Amino acid sequence: MNNSVQQPNVALKSIVKRYGDVEVVRGIDLEIADKEFVVLVGPSGCGKSTTLRMIAGLEEISDGELYIEDRKVNLVAPKDRDVAMVFQNYALYPHLNVAGNIAFGLNIRKVPKDEINRLVTEVAEILGLTPYLERRPADLSGGQRQRVAMGRAIVRHPKVFLFDEPLSNLDAKLRTQMRAEIKRLHKRLGVTSVYVTHDQVEAMTLADRIVVMADGRIEQVGTPMELFNNPVNTFVASFMGSPPMNQLDAVVESNAEGSFAMFGGQKIALPELEELQGADGRKVVVGVRPEHVFIEPTEDSSPIKVELDLIETLGSEALLHTHVGDTPFVVKAETHGDIDHLSSIDTIYIPTRRVKVFDGETQMAYGFVKAEG
Amino acid sequence: MSKMNMNLYSRGDKTFVMVNMVLIGLFTIAALYPFIYVAALSFSSGFAATAGTVVLTPVDATIAAYERVLTAPEFWHSYMNTMFYTIAGTLMSLLIVIPGAYALSRPQLVGRRFWNLMVAFTMWFHAGMIPFWLNMRDLGLLDSYFGIIIGFAVNAFNIILLRNFFESIPSSFAEAARMDGANEFQILWKVFVPLSKPAIATITLFCIVARWNGFFWAMILLTDDSKIPLQVYLRHTIAELSDDEEFAATLLSAAYSVETVTAAIIVCSIIPVLLVYPWVQKYFNKGILLGGVKE
Repeated sequence: MNNSVQQPNVALKSIVKRYGDVEVVRGIDLEIADKEFVVLVGPSGCGKSTTLRMIAGLEEISDGELYIEDRKVNLVAPKDRDVAMVFQNYALYPHLNVAGNIAFGLNIRKVPKDEINRLVTEVAEILGLTPYLERRPADLSGGQRQRVAMGRAIVRHPKVFLFDEPLSNLDAKLRTQMRAEIKRLHKRLGVTSVYVTHDQVEAMTLADRIVVMADGRIEQVGTPMELFNNPVNTFVASFMGSPPMNQLDAVVESNAEGSFAMFGGQKIALPELEELQGADGRKVVVGVRPEHVFIEPTEDSSPIKVELDLIETLGSEALLHTHVGDTPFVVKAETHGDIDHLSSIDTIYIPTRRVKVFDGETQMAYGFVKAEG
Repeated sequence: MSKMNMNLYSRGDKTFVMVNMVLIGLFTIAALYPFIYVAALSFSSGFAATAGTVVLTPVDATIAAYERVLTAPEFWHSYMNTMFYTIAGTLMSLLIVIPGAYALSRPQLVGRRFWNLMVAFTMWFHAGMIPFWLNMRDLGLLDSYFGIIIGFAVNAFNIILLRNFFESIPSSFAEAARMDGANEFQILWKVFVPLSKPAIATITLFCIVARWNGFFWAMILLTDDSKIPLQVYLRHTIAELSDDEEFAATLLSAAYSVETVTAAIIVCSIIPVLLVYPWVQKYFNKGILLGGVKE
């Protein structure tokens, strides 16, 4: 996995977090480059927030080493790490107005008044908060509060920004909007950022690199497209992408024409992979993304009989919820402004080159290409 | 508030509302009547008070009792003492209770369960009156202003009340302040105290009322008349007038009696607490946490 970078700004070396006997983070190795935007993503309880809080200094590190700009900071207090954090619930001080909230850290650090005024004005300008500087948090909308929370973080010009699910309290529309704003802000300020979310769409749209975590470990690190096209195992395959990758349990069978995945009396042609040589009878998991399936015959594709359960219309596209045997199978199809032609579908076509094969035992991808850099 | 439309309620609901209104009315009368009675008494003639004819309004209205009370220098002296005990005592209590409650609310406090248990323990068990008196004597705190102030500065109930409030403040406030560079003292005074105004107002009011009405221990611990608070002075006055045979002889013709003087002192002593309450009360119903975090 490409967990290391040329010039790491933040480096985690075998980081472990234990609560009593329970290990919630089980040895994380990760290097984050200067100016990079890294997103930690995974299901709840996977240790992503704990990892972030260890970088912040809000949780003690049980084992391993944490470096920020070549300085080991395991035992450095949060305020001396030069990192700033945006909390999920904003944690704005209700008794202070917007300016007071943004300036809080500067006041604590006894920055001169003139300098504070200059910095607060500058940050308010960047975040579009200038008209609201005198307001209390209670009088702001959700998006404005979120911006104040970010203002409090950026006003100090820290080396690293930490975001702990900052958008999860916003409604869907505002979330999309704020996502773009965070991205813009990162481009403008160019500060190394670590962002925690359980929302893979947020991860895909924001990240330079995504770190997929599960059960206290890193499953895969890579750019959004690497993870999408080249998932290391069935977990990453099902976690990234929306709707997730379809997975069918099958058995390998080979003949002169090549290898096939057999299931329920049907078969899917498999791409040529080293691991499939002499793999007859081996259990595999076949993965196909909903958007890669065709509803009309194409070259090099395997027809599969399915039963259509329901159609979810999204506008230009529709999700066909079908099943193959007992296994649910989702297909994303274009509507061309009409879904009538979709309602009678009983066969789908799976292009061979789009098929992912995972080992039935280890769940690891066959033909996995380790990305460079 | 709009008027409640009775058609929207079932018969059971209506009965419930009626019973509530009657009960609340009775409680209100029971609570208010003593005030009205004492006020009426204080403006009545001594004869009427002794004869027991005062019910709701002053009888043979006179301000003789107030003249008797307000012209006594000891009254003003004890009034000042009570003011001092109340203000200094409340400040001292807050100074101890707020940091104490904060420490007990912090998860990182070593032996937190033990310390919390120790504080709560004093709510149910104490050594008793005589050991406490002996303790105060041995500490040289008898007959001293400081003894009254420090001896009753800490109240376990107030600490636990405030601790619980502190515990209910989302941890991200303290964490955000820590990231911003605040130390524990700054977190307490710049974040937790402003966020806890309603709770601190409550315990401030508890302290003020307890100090203002403080009688028993002041009577036991203070023998020097120049240091006694108002409530002890009130008792002295009652005793003095009751024992004064010359005064008793003129009782039937006197403009004031023991009862009216007592009532006048009570009225004088209630006024400051009544004045403080509205000022503190504005904090009670105010959701100060609103808007700071989103749950």
